[in-house]
Parts: sequence; C-alpha cells; structure tokens
Amino acid sequence: METVSKSSRRRARIYSAEARVAYICLIPAFLGLIFLTYVPLLSVLGISLTSWTGLAKPEFIGFDNYVKLFTTDPYIKDSIIATIYFALLSVAGSMIYSLFIAMLLNRKIPARGFFRAVFYVPYVLPAAAIYVGWSWLYEANFGFFNYLLSEIGLSKVLFIADSSYVVPSLSLISVWLAGNLIVIFLAGLQNVPSVYHEAAEMDGANGWQRFLHITLPCMSPIIFYNLLMSLIANLQVVTPALALTNGGPGNSSRFMTYLMYDQAFVNYKLGYACATTFIIFAILAAFTAVLFKTSNRWIFNEGGDDK
Amino acid sequence: MSVAAYGRLKSKKRKTRMANVITFVVILIFAALVIFPIWWIFRTSLMTNAEIYRYPPSFLPGDWLFSNYEKTLEVFKFWKYLWNTMIIIVPSCLAGTFTATLCGYAFARLRFRGKQFIWALCVGSMLLPAMVTLIPLYIGWTRGLGLQDSYLPLILPYFCGGGAFNIFLIRQFIVSIPRELDQAATIDGAGYFRILFSIIIPAIRPAMIVVALFIFIGLWNDLLQQMIYINSSDKFTIALGLTNFRGQLKQDWSLTMAATCMSFAPGVIFYLIGQRYFVEGITLTGMKN
Repeated sequence: METVSKSSRRRARIYSAEARVAYICLIPAFLGLIFLTYVPLLSVLGISLTSWTGLAKPEFIGFDNYVKLFTTDPYIKDSIIATIYFALLSVAGSMIYSLFIAMLLNRKIPARGFFRAVFYVPYVLPAAAIYVGWSWLYEANFGFFNYLLSEIGLSKVLFIADSSYVVPSLSLISVWLAGNLIVIFLAGLQNVPSVYHEAAEMDGANGWQRFLHITLPCMSPIIFYNLLMSLIANLQVVTPALALTNGGPGNSSRFMTYLMYDQAFVNYKLGYACATTFIIFAILAAFTAVLFKTSNRWIFNEGGDDK
Repeated sequence: MSVAAYGRLKSKKRKTRMANVITFVVILIFAALVIFPIWWIFRTSLMTNAEIYRYPPSFLPGDWLFSNYEKTLEVFKFWKYLWNTMIIIVPSCLAGTFTATLCGYAFARLRFRGKQFIWALCVGSMLLPAMVTLIPLYIGWTRGLGLQDSYLPLILPYFCGGGAFNIFLIRQFIVSIPRELDQAATIDGAGYFRILFSIIIPAIRPAMIVVALFIFIGLWNDLLQQMIYINSSDKFTIALGLTNFRGQLKQDWSLTMAATCMSFAPGVIFYLIGQRYFVEGITLTGMKN
C-alpha cells in the first residue's frame, strides 16, 4: 500500500517537473497566442463598433460602420469583386501551371535539379522588386509585352493602367511566382507508387487515363494543401497594390487588404477599417470552410475508407 | 522472345525516348519563359535610355553600362537598405526558430495540464489570416508601447514562437523521432532541457533550417508591415527603398531596373547557397501536413 502511494507521489513529482519544463518552453508561444493573436482578434471586433480615428477617445457607435460599409461605401463592392477575381485567376492558373511543370519534371530528363531551381527562383525574389520589375515589362509604349503584341499585329494594351487588364496582368505574375507549389507537387509525384502506373499501363490505360485515375487521386491531399495555401495567400493580396497600382486604375485593383490599409493608415479611420477587416475575415473563412467541407468528397484516402 | 514481341518492345522503347525528348523541349521552353522577365529586367539595367526606347528592342545591351549601377547607388542606398533588412531578418530568424523549437518540443514530448487546450489555440491560430490582426497590433505597438518608426514591432513577434505554422512543423518533426532515444537519455539521468539540446535539436536540424527559411521568406516578401511601422528614410528596408525609389524616378527605367536587380541579388545568392534546404524544406511542409 505504502509503496503504491509512494510511487504515485513520485510519478506526480516527475509529472509536475515535466509540466514545469513544458510551461517554461511554452511561455513565448503563450504570449504570442494571447497578445498577438486572440486579444487582437477580439479587439478588431471591439474597435469595429467605434468611430475611432486614432485621435479622440473612441466612441461606441454600434453596428454603424457595418451598415455604412454595406450601404454607402463606394469601394467595398468593387474591392471584394477584384479580390475574388484575382484570387480565382491566380489560384487556378498557378495550380494548373505548377502541376503541369511538376509532372514534366517528374519524368526522366537531364539536368532536373537545374530546371527545378530555375522554376523556383521567382519565389525567392522580394515581392516589391518583382512588381517594380514587371511594371517595366508591362509598360505601355516600350514594354516587352507591347512589343510582342505589335509584332503579331495587335494594338497596344495598357496592361496595368487599364482597368480591364490589370487583374489578369497581376495574376500572371502570381502564376510566375508559383515555384514553391511546383516543388511540393514534385515531391508528391515522387511518392506515387510506380507499380500503380505499371499495372495500369499493362491493362492498356493511356497517359490521360493514368493521370485521371492514378495521379490525381494519389495527389489529392497535396492538391488540397496547395489549393488551401494559395487561396488564403491570394485572397490576402496587397503587395501589387502597394508597390504598383495604388488600387487603380479606378478601383480595379483595390484589393480588400489594400482597402483596409487605405482606410486605416491613409485616412486614419481605424474603427471603420476594423469593420472592413472583419468582413474580409468572414469572406476568407467562408472560402476556407467551403474548401474543407467539399474536401472529403474529392480527397482520396489511402486507407480506402471512402466516406 | 518472338520477333513480333521484340519489335513491339523496341517500338515502345522508341516511343518513350521520343516522349522524353518532347518533355525536355517543353521544359526548356517553359524554363526560358520563366527566366526571361528576369533577363529583360537585367538587360534593361545595363542600357542607356536611348537604347531602351529603340524599336525593335534588342535582347542584349549594346555596351554593358555597369555605370548605371553606380548612378543608381547615389540615390538608392542599397547597402544601407540591405543592412536594415538584415537587422530585422537575422534576429527574427534566430529567435523564431529557437522559440518554435521550444514550443514544438513541449507539444511533442511533454505531458502537462491544459496541453490539448493550448494546442487547439495554436492550431486554430494557424487558420487565422495575418491581415486580421494588423490594425490592433499596430495600435498596440505604436500607441500602447510607443514604438513608432521602430523595427521592434517587426522583430518581436518572432520571439513569441515564430508563428503557429512553424511550431506545428517542428512538432510534427519531433513526433517522428523515436522516443527510445530520449528514454535512454532519461535513464542516464538527463533532464528535459538536456534531452532537448543534446538529442532533439541535433535530430531536427533540417526542420529548424526550414523554419528559419520560412521566416526569412516571409520578411523578405513583406511590404505592408514595413510600410506601416517604418517612416524615416534612413530606416528603409530594401522593399521600402525600392518602392520609394521607383516613385522618385518614374521615367528612368534603366536606373529603376538597376535598383530592382540589386534587390533581386541577395535572395538569389542566398537561394543558391541554401538551395538544398529550400527544396527539402518546401517538400517537408507539403508532406507533413
């Protein structure tokens, strides 16, 4: 009896020593989670109910900011449309492009490491510099793309100065930047067991059938991961607007995060900007939720339990 | 083997060789397309303005004007900006990696009260987009703590676990290390910190390098936060300096492109040195989730 209680006391002591170490290790994360994540998250809600401009004391105005956003705000509708348009184009483009390149790189070709490096390079360049650099390629009179257009006999296009071209033009840059997706896809492809392909080939399946029935199902968890990551990243797009377009021309590239930046840090309407933040958050959450909800329908489980 | 079967095998072999040649050509074309914008920017940076506006444009600069770079450096204080950027990036990478490792270790190996709850908070915050907390954090740092025109609001968050995603990554990695190793060390009388430093950390070095790289890339690509926290031009980072420089010299494309190329350089050099880790790291995140 005594030994049992002794050993359990001993275990408790070890357990508490272990817990003490754990708590020490977790101090940084704990501070971060409280002060950098959850308190700010609640503050967004709180501030969004005030008319704070940063100067006077914040005044509680209930849901006025939200009402104003939905009824009289001149930008928010265009902003949401521009953001979703940009995100869908960029995500679709970069997913197709990166899966395609990854599949090519997965074949036996010489200098594979070199090519992988080439496709990855755009990703390591600082975003601000990328947009400045591309603005020259897109330049209205002497830019490279307009040279190409004139060579094939088309008239000039004001890529980033034309409200109907600016979003596709910026999306093309996003696709160009998708090198990290290629590397992830490539790693996934290398994990697809080659016996599947060999067996299917023996049964007479052609390349397209094998892609549809072997590659895609085996890759579905990785496709989901890339889809989720690039969707969240692209819906938060802000750098091209900051570095290049300032939301223009018109409101055609006034992306949601840029709108929030403009309200808070150019016009100092902090309360109003927090209401916008919350709406953006809701839109992002909706997209994420839809993606997760539909995922079990198309993600292939290796365990085989199809739900 | 019959002659017919041999012939079929041979034709199949020829077909795959043909397919490989086509693949190679297609890859080559795409690689050229990806590199082309960078080349175009570089070639512009070495040209006179007259040459830039010539039609048809030439793909190579006439006489490589490296003096453009000297001219650019008179206004675009590249070395200062690089130094400023490093002042932000180096402490952030070190602190972020270290604290993420501590937290990942606690979640992966230690038993304590409230673990599930804190872990849920951590994973939950991973899905929280960064822009949501931007304004309250700005108010907190500048109003609450009076940190105006300071690098600290950019650096200090990395002293707090380096982000949930990185903690998650480290935890997953530690979980995959066999527990027998720590048990053996415990029997030899090693404490928890001793185990962390002499067994866990050496084993998860690749994951730690990956975390450092992620923090690096994140800060390297950031413009929004640097814009709202830094005001004075002698504190500008590369991203801020370049954006500002472009505003000043809207029409001088060769100098703007020279500044752009300089801003490209550190990333490319860093990548060439650490390429193996970059690729391993990106691969790792895709697989571990």
